[in-house]
Amino acid sequence: MDKAGSPSRLPGQTSGLAVLAALVCAAPVLAVAWIALTRDSGDYLQHLAQTRLPVYLSTSALVALVAGGGAGLIGTALGWLIARTEFWGRRTLSWVLILPLAVPAYVAAYAWLDLSQAGGPLDAFTGGAFPTIRGGGGAGMMFALVLYPYVYLLARDTFASQSVDAYNAARTLGAGPLTAFWRTSLPMARPAVAAGLALVAMESLADYGTVSHLGAPTLSIGLIRAWSGAGSLVDAARLSLVLVFIAIVVFGLERAQRSRARSVNGSGRHKPAPRLYLRGGTALAALLVCLTPLALGMIIPLGRLVWLALHTETATGLAAASFHSLTLAGITALLAAALGLATAYALRSRTAIATLATRAAGLGYAVPGAVAAVGVIAILSGIQALVDPSWRAMTGEVFPIVLTGTGAALVFAYLSRFAAAAISPAETALARITPSLDGAARTLGATRRRRVWHIHWPLIAAGVTSAGLLVFVEVLKELPATMILRPFNYDTLAIIAHNFASDERLGEAALPSLLIPLVALLPMIFVARYLSRQDR
Amino acid sequence: MADTGTVLSIRGAERRYRADHAALAGADLDLRAGRITALLGPSGSGKSTLLRAIAGLERLEAGSICLGDTCWNDTTTHIAPEARRVGMVFQDYALFPHMTALANVAFGLTGPDKHARALAQLEAAELGHRAKAYPHELSGGEQQRVALARALAPQPSVVLLDEPFSGLDRRLRGELRERTVDTLRAAGTTALIVTHDAEEAMAVADELALMDRGRIIQTGPPDEVWMSPVSATAAKLLGDVEIIDAQVKAGQAGTPFGPVDANGFEDGQPVSVLIRPRAFTLSLDPDGPYTITRRRSAGPHLTHRFAGKTGEWTAQTPAPSPIQEGDRVGVELDPVYVRVVAA
Repeated sequence: MDKAGSPSRLPGQTSGLAVLAALVCAAPVLAVAWIALTRDSGDYLQHLAQTRLPVYLSTSALVALVAGGGAGLIGTALGWLIARTEFWGRRTLSWVLILPLAVPAYVAAYAWLDLSQAGGPLDAFTGGAFPTIRGGGGAGMMFALVLYPYVYLLARDTFASQSVDAYNAARTLGAGPLTAFWRTSLPMARPAVAAGLALVAMESLADYGTVSHLGAPTLSIGLIRAWSGAGSLVDAARLSLVLVFIAIVVFGLERAQRSRARSVNGSGRHKPAPRLYLRGGTALAALLVCLTPLALGMIIPLGRLVWLALHTETATGLAAASFHSLTLAGITALLAAALGLATAYALRSRTAIATLATRAAGLGYAVPGAVAAVGVIAILSGIQALVDPSWRAMTGEVFPIVLTGTGAALVFAYLSRFAAAAISPAETALARITPSLDGAARTLGATRRRRVWHIHWPLIAAGVTSAGLLVFVEVLKELPATMILRPFNYDTLAIIAHNFASDERLGEAALPSLLIPLVALLPMIFVARYLSRQDR
Repeated sequence: MADTGTVLSIRGAERRYRADHAALAGADLDLRAGRITALLGPSGSGKSTLLRAIAGLERLEAGSICLGDTCWNDTTTHIAPEARRVGMVFQDYALFPHMTALANVAFGLTGPDKHARALAQLEAAELGHRAKAYPHELSGGEQQRVALARALAPQPSVVLLDEPFSGLDRRLRGELRERTVDTLRAAGTTALIVTHDAEEAMAVADELALMDRGRIIQTGPPDEVWMSPVSATAAKLLGDVEIIDAQVKAGQAGTPFGPVDANGFEDGQPVSVLIRPRAFTLSLDPDGPYTITRRRSAGPHLTHRFAGKTGEWTAQTPAPSPIQEGDRVGVELDPVYVRVVAA
């Protein structure tokens, strides 16, 4: 083929970095699998299997179903409204609807339980008619309200890029507008919705703060109990493996959906669908549909926390915790963005090793933070055990616990979990630099340095920045890995909020809970606007 | 006009993407100074690969590319694209999306007056008023003109154009083609234009090069190549042709329409007789040996499909024509449009 030329050589030896990224991301998961499969466990797991495990599994299923169902419904409906219709406020809502991602699900859970429990304002106001938000169903609803943007984003972009021809063809074949939508537009969006649902399901199974606060014992609760209660690394690893297995099944299903997406969107030409102009009552209804999840997921819970914070004395230690949260999130974001970019560059070389490395890096994203944490502990204590004898021989002392007891272990776990999240945005950004763009710069005499700084960077900067900011927000919200790995007396905002909330001191939990979404909001606005730039 | 000496010579260029598929299989080509060469070939014949190899974007596995006495490629060297001073217009134009038209044109220039020079180049393309526009704000034709201005601005020794008109609609294409040729002539540049459109190739070229399966199979002025194709493949690249297999007898090759001069082939040799559709002259004849099976209007001329005992052929006849489907006709051959080549 004439046009099949190899992609232009890109600057730097990036394959090495890609492999490093893959190792960082995949190592904890592999370590967990290794320990779970090779070491003997105690009686704990057997005991667990006979008692709590069925409850963990059924609660996990309930949480994932409610979260997925809710987020799927909200995300698909909003995606269609924003992509295919026009009404007052639509352009702004296009990115504002992404912002609930800045709210950790456990923060929404603190507020909603406080509002709805017996004696709470909603309970009092409705005379006890409003149900208390708790249990697996309640937790699932919290996840649906703050995680629907994953589905919304993918559904919106799919609906926007869908050709109207398939819909029109259905109409000419005798289908009414609703039938045509049901049988063409919606199935064509299914792979995107499935991808979003997979993310929602995994995030909700990975969560600890929400389910522990609302009393929904999922697998990750069992995992943390095995680690912090029974202190058994092997048992924790075995439970982790169950979660990893579920992750593989969920993402496998999603991939099976996606592989068919190509054949669906394969038509060469496409006409974007014209927007449906909504007026009067329907426009108002659309606006309300969009504002409802925003209110339920963000405005009402944050409002309640503001009220609580104003009526409680401020807890001490918030400044240090904020500093810790920002430092951890900042360092991880920078590293993840760099690794993501390097991997995306390496991927462009289309070498087998780079492709393999990227797939391996994806593994880290598929596992819960608690699993990553258990893996990191396994790796670091393994290193410790290796170094200790020779260290003792040399110095006569025990090797200091520098590895597991520092923030470095946390950053390692975060990277393992989130670096992969930075790869695909970097890949998308780099895809804008076509081989001919590189070729044009080269034939015009541009050196490698000039190509990187004057062609590549301006075109990818926003994408890479938004990848880094996304990781920043995720780290800020992260709870289970932080709980397992944090050094003694090293608190983050998420930890403080969780500790107060689990002591039923919600007033004191309010301010740290509020600070997380407030700090996350600015980066999230940047990310949301970047992801919605075509729509503006 | 500049002298017509060779500036760029390509010898035995080879490049394969897969073990079983050579994109370039020993291509030879000379570009003459100040002349426009059109490289014509079907999709997958290796045209774009050759172009990219000249620009240095593709490495050769064997063969050489030399500009005068300087070799860009041979067995030991591969000069980087940025050091070659080659101008290239890409099929998708490859305009830098984050830069204005002016910044795009100025990209390859250096020195304090580079923006003034870039503006002058844009003005020459009658795009001075669009200097501040970003690529996505320009029409397809304007984008192409900016891409050409950008390639010409650094005064390259060779300009390469990869299917530069393929993304445009038919009417705009003709207009832009003339404009591009005028611009290249005015700049006195040596240019190589890749195309798969025979009409386009002949319209722009001073020199025509035909490419097939990684090799250059014929070069020469367009008229000469059209009139005297060296093979059936070359003839087919330039337009419709009827091919009749024959054997040479007494210095002539026999066809159903009478013998034609064997073009120097010896008796007994198998040959192909290439007949352009316009070589056939049809005349209404109730006792004629052929029957019209199809009649199609094609603007200034008509195509008549006619059948006889030994086969079916297509003739191109001037419009209007009284000959209808089902009519019996007699057929004569105009030897000017007939060529005998080795089978």
